[in-house]
Amino acid sequence: MLAVENLRVVYRDVISILNGVSLQANPQEISVILGANGAGKTTLLRAIAGLLSIYDGDIIEGDIKLGQVSIKGKESREIVKKFGLTYVMEDRPVFWYLTIEENLAAAAYSRWDGEIKADIEKVFTYFPVLKSLRHKKAGYTSGGEQQMLAIGMSLMTKPKILLFDEPSLGLAPLVSEELFRIIQKLNREGLTILLVEQNAQAALQIGHRGYVLENGRVVLEGEAPVLLANEDVREFYLGVGAKERRSYQESKRYKRRKRWL
Amino acid sequence: MADLIQTLGAGILIGCVYGILGLGIVIIFKASEAFNFAIGEFLVVGSFLFYIFFFDFHLPLMVALPLGLIAAGGMGALIERLSIKPLLGRSALSMTIITLGLASVLRASVQFIFGAHSYSFFIELPDFTLEFGNVLFPSERVWAALLSLLTFLALLFFLFRTRWGVAIRAISESQAKALAFGIDARFLMLLVWAASSMCIAVAGIMISNFGALSYLTGIVGLRAIPVVLIGGMDSIGGALIGGLIVGLCEALIGSYVEPLGLVGFKDVAPYILLLIVLFIRPYGLWGTVRIERI
Repeated sequence: MLAVENLRVVYRDVISILNGVSLQANPQEISVILGANGAGKTTLLRAIAGLLSIYDGDIIEGDIKLGQVSIKGKESREIVKKFGLTYVMEDRPVFWYLTIEENLAAAAYSRWDGEIKADIEKVFTYFPVLKSLRHKKAGYTSGGEQQMLAIGMSLMTKPKILLFDEPSLGLAPLVSEELFRIIQKLNREGLTILLVEQNAQAALQIGHRGYVLENGRVVLEGEAPVLLANEDVREFYLGVGAKERRSYQESKRYKRRKRWL
Repeated sequence: MADLIQTLGAGILIGCVYGILGLGIVIIFKASEAFNFAIGEFLVVGSFLFYIFFFDFHLPLMVALPLGLIAAGGMGALIERLSIKPLLGRSALSMTIITLGLASVLRASVQFIFGAHSYSFFIELPDFTLEFGNVLFPSERVWAALLSLLTFLALLFFLFRTRWGVAIRAISESQAKALAFGIDARFLMLLVWAASSMCIAVAGIMISNFGALSYLTGIVGLRAIPVVLIGGMDSIGGALIGGLIVGLCEALIGSYVEPLGLVGFKDVAPYILLLIVLFIRPYGLWGTVRIERI
């Protein structure tokens, strides 16, 4: 079980992004994190994956635990290799100048077993479209193919826990629907998933639990179906449920912003 | 006619050596976007390390050469650990400036340890002198080109056929992405610097073998600048072709323009050529044209 306890993160010693986040991702479940831009979702994932240092960020309080072991402050390669936790960054983290096959091989760098070749073929059975493109540079493939490649690359690290950062970013509705199906399938095969999404409806539909992040705090949490039915979530993230039609002027976001605390 | 063939051949032979000098810069630039201005000093230190094993310890060449190259690689790795690693994740410009400082420190250290005089340098190698009628290529030049090409092939194999090579090309694109997939960027940077200083050491040993070795031999390292800028800062093949172009340009100017009274013009000519190339192709001839999604 991945547990984040009262985490506080600052960038450059002054910019406070997370102000005490606590949440947990139960094993074999999909936990969804919702939140507006700037709420701290990506920072939270970076902190878990051990990537804060390259962005000049620091964890100044709190802890991140996998089971009983703290992974706070560990290096990313150790987190990937020893703890089986892989972070799929936002905006399709593939290497543009490498071919699809080389991308998959590069992602398997942390492994030394002899099954890398076999696992590349296994990824191709998950994503048949990648197989025909295997010798093409990843930079020349479409957004959907790149996102599938990114997921395939994360599978090459043999993860137990996957963190997804807005996998549907910039993809056509049909493609993102397929991605959500794939994520659900991975989960059913036993992976624990922490999913950050803007598409709240789709994410909550496949998720088990949800958290709403705002200003670096968890302001709402609960079972996914409960959140889906929650009035505030419906109004602010699903865009339905507002009682009456408002004029354009009134609907300016800074005026309507909900105060949670 | 024989004159022309002689000139072209000499240009190509020395061009191969310039090619691996350029390669030493290109792989570091690809991996970290830093330009290693200390290349001349890396070249001198690498050559002196080989000198110690071969001429001072009298080891056979087949032992001394690998030992010297390993020592040169170790030196590169050590320098990376001490001066470059603390800057990981910062701007590439700060690394480039560090290499400027490194150049001064290394040059002074070499002068301090080995003195300012020249050391005679001659490696006994099987005679490979090529002679066709009036055209003659001295054995040490042929050897220099051969060994340079071998080094080039070895490095190509390393970059394109091994797990480290693929990962190095991955970190050269984005360290953050690579780190997220558990690729050990810190160790790979160490490998890159070691490989680069080995390349430069091979070039240094071959160039010293043309005559003598002193702390001023490092000036040849400046040749690498037009080589990589003409070939493209991030192109491996471009480094070799850039080296050949600079070698040919130098040889042609040396035998056809200098006799007209322009002494020393062959040292300037590559830079003029560089200027022309950069006007036409700002990334260099084979520099990566960035992948743009449209």
